[in-house]
Amino acid sequence: MKIARFGKATTFMAATAIAALSLTGCSTTTAAPEETATTGNTDGIDVYVIGGMPSDPFWSVVKRGAEAAGAAVEAAGGSVTWLGPQNYDNLGPDAGKLVDSAIAAGAEAIVIADWVPDAENPAIIRAVEAGIPVIHYNAGGLEQADATGALTYIGSDDYLAGVAGGVAMAEAGSKNILCVNTVPGSANQEARCKGVKDGAESVGSASEQLPLPSSNFGNPTAVANAIKAQLTKDATIDGVITIGVQDADSAAAAIEQAGVVETVALGTFDLSDTQLERIAAGTQLFAIDQQPWLQGYLATSAAWQYAQYGILPASRPLLTGPSLVTKDNVDVVSAGVAAGVR
Amino acid sequence: MSHTTTNSTTAPTKTLAGSITGFARRPEFGALIGALAVYAFFAVAGGAPFLAPGGSASWLNVASELGIIALLVALVMIAGDLDLSVGSVLAGSSMVLAISSGYYGLPTIVGILLAIGFGVGVGVINGILVTRTNLPSFVVTLATNFAVVGLTLGFTRLLVGSTAVSFQADPWAKFLFGELIDGKFETAIIWWVIIALAVGWVLYQSPWGNWIYAIGGDVVSARAAGIPVEKVRISLFAGSGFAAAFVGVLQTCLYNGSQVAMGQSFVFNSIIAVVIGGVLLTGGYGSPIGVILGTLTFAIVNQGIYYTGWNADWASLILGILLLIAVLANNSFRRMALTGGDTKSKGKK
Amino acid sequence: MSATPILSLKSVSKHFTGYRALDDVSLDIYPGKVLCLLGDNGAGKSTLIKILSGFHAPTSGTVELNGKAVVFNSPKDASEAGIATVHQFGGTFPLMSIGRSFFVGVEPTKGWGIFKRFNKKLANETAVREMQSLGITRVTDGDRLIGGLSGGERQAAAIARAVHFGANVLILDEPTAALGVKEASHVLRIIMQARNKGVAVVLVTHNVSHALTVGDNFAVLIRGKKADDFAKGQRTREEVTDLMAGGEAMAELEAELATLTGAIPIVE
Repeated sequence: MKIARFGKATTFMAATAIAALSLTGCSTTTAAPEETATTGNTDGIDVYVIGGMPSDPFWSVVKRGAEAAGAAVEAAGGSVTWLGPQNYDNLGPDAGKLVDSAIAAGAEAIVIADWVPDAENPAIIRAVEAGIPVIHYNAGGLEQADATGALTYIGSDDYLAGVAGGVAMAEAGSKNILCVNTVPGSANQEARCKGVKDGAESVGSASEQLPLPSSNFGNPTAVANAIKAQLTKDATIDGVITIGVQDADSAAAAIEQAGVVETVALGTFDLSDTQLERIAAGTQLFAIDQQPWLQGYLATSAAWQYAQYGILPASRPLLTGPSLVTKDNVDVVSAGVAAGVR
Repeated sequence: MSHTTTNSTTAPTKTLAGSITGFARRPEFGALIGALAVYAFFAVAGGAPFLAPGGSASWLNVASELGIIALLVALVMIAGDLDLSVGSVLAGSSMVLAISSGYYGLPTIVGILLAIGFGVGVGVINGILVTRTNLPSFVVTLATNFAVVGLTLGFTRLLVGSTAVSFQADPWAKFLFGELIDGKFETAIIWWVIIALAVGWVLYQSPWGNWIYAIGGDVVSARAAGIPVEKVRISLFAGSGFAAAFVGVLQTCLYNGSQVAMGQSFVFNSIIAVVIGGVLLTGGYGSPIGVILGTLTFAIVNQGIYYTGWNADWASLILGILLLIAVLANNSFRRMALTGGDTKSKGKK
Repeated sequence: MSATPILSLKSVSKHFTGYRALDDVSLDIYPGKVLCLLGDNGAGKSTLIKILSGFHAPTSGTVELNGKAVVFNSPKDASEAGIATVHQFGGTFPLMSIGRSFFVGVEPTKGWGIFKRFNKKLANETAVREMQSLGITRVTDGDRLIGGLSGGERQAAAIARAVHFGANVLILDEPTAALGVKEASHVLRIIMQARNKGVAVVLVTHNVSHALTVGDNFAVLIRGKKADDFAKGQRTREEVTDLMAGGEAMAELEAELATLTGAIPIVE
């Protein structure tokens, strides 16, 4: 099972909410869906895209991709409507309800991230049985798409992304790679670190995971010093891979403080300005991009094209990542970030 | 003065045992025992790397940033309130600095002043809301915590279009706030010491200290005694807002930028540190020395585990157990302060 | 009475929505005398205290201080006029030290400018001295917490504080209610000491024995009205008890209890 690649902002919101709830002991109310209709309906296909919170940095890029695809849908007289939960406290059931909302609203094509298959699949199956074309994207993989009868899966694969990162770092010379996981227990982050391990081992290197408890969450100093402790304790570590961009910033500080900038390589999942700056400066090896814009764009386009014209890409699943950003392509990528598509 | 003679005849002679029991009755005693115990524990389990300067820097760096916030949150808590908004204030003020000086290129000093002003402003709003509405500060500051998260995220994306903003501090600001002394120790440690002295002064030496204890002890009696209760409470919230903003500035200078997702761990970690330090959750009791020790205890446990070679999956479990033990111990020591440990009274009763 | 009252209530009434908490009550309070305010729960004693200490303004009637009508808009006004109120549990801060709580709101300082600081030594010494002057010799260390004192000692601390800060009128709200016999007698002794210092004491209680022990003048409140007032020696304990409990009702109860328990007489 995979769940969405939450940006850090989202996970901390959830963490705060959980912490608050554990103190107050009150129950979570169902998150009200946030609707953003990009156009009114005329005659074409009404596509409903269900994704993460619009305020989530990762999902806002996905949403921008969906909106870009929406231009073509609207040109053909249809509409694209983005549905996202207000928070991630109760993600699976909320997403399931959003699918039902989309069916009730008269969706003619649905794009859905299957984060929590157990909770979402019944609703997705209702949509499929109602004859609505459904495409899974971002999370769930082809396995879940087949389980619900959806057309295909479009997105990245955490495990494969991890493998790519592990192989790249090992091939660059790292023998012992530390995979820093600040959300231990989250299926997609575990899959990333497992991928790193398998990738590194396939090239003859080793990798272990450093799980950091939630009490460190959002505090770069705590994360940096925990990584520094590992680097100090185990001098054989010569590579660090983090699961998010803020952790990568912390890891960069840790490597600097431990005085091992020359010997320890750094890589991360996801992209940000500071990653690109470090990659350009040569102090970071790579950033693994799953190309969220492409997920929103391709999934929305594919759903619309199938509903309107019966066209569907032949490759199943359609993978949007991983794409490694290194010194070689950092300039192109920087331009994409500036344009809001990465 | 005439009364000193009568006093000296009745004053008990200080014996060694007497001063030990006297010390055991102090609010920070439990916290001291706790800090020493976890340090000794991790010194043995972590060995040389933990004891080396780099190892000490690990927990001192974490403790100093948390400690700055914890000290001022402790004042709020001694006065009987809670401040749950420090997390988002930290992120918000950090973002204010990064956007104004990093993105718009204003002078660093302007960005820092705006950031501090933002933190103090949110604190004042918290204080006014709490004193005017008489709602529990738990609810009010929880609400502002969420509100400021949204405000920060919304404005950051509106102005910058991203959730991470990079910022290079001027050399003087980098030197004061974001320098690593000897490549290991954050300047935050020095700021922590300065702020601890200031807080200690306020609590023990200024009349304000008395007012803070009195408000936390019994707000009605405090008001009847003529204490400007509203003014004090609002000032204390402004203080915790300042501390959160200050740590935001420190982290922004140190990590060369800001992320909207920073800071939330400080909300509960600061309360944990304060409670381990012997401050009563209901207010009226506690000491800055205790809070410093509580912060150190928390930081040593939080960071020490990475030197032991154990699976870090268990770190949170150890923290939880520690918190429980700390609160139980503090409870016993406080009871001792109230009833026991008084050898003088035995003859009379 | 030869002396002029320091504080008087003239036909004071206090109405809350739906009921009359006080109805046309007049009282005179003299310096160096103890006025005992007797009454059952709900008789209006608390309302009367709140009017005297400035929490409530009377609906009608006037409060006179040294013969002049005054209006207390807040407890602060009353305390500035020298009226101090001590509540059942001393009204102090259990987790503060004796010295600190003694000076809450009026902290003594030493030094100048930004170096002005709380004078802990003076505070502790003054607090201990004042308590000892009321006969609490067990307390010698001003650093001890108020919460570590006995109930009587806490009352003493509060009374000592009021006297020290120049209270002319000391209102004591049920000071002995939560105390054991020994402690209560201690507090009564302290009341007498305050009285001997020339303080006008208003002792609110429903314990007739305690009242008769220290009182000079007495007033009995029943359902918001002053049912009786008298000077020391004019009434027996039984008469007062009957009056407080509503007279006949108490007699009936006593008769009933006597048949139930085999005629064990009810004292107090």
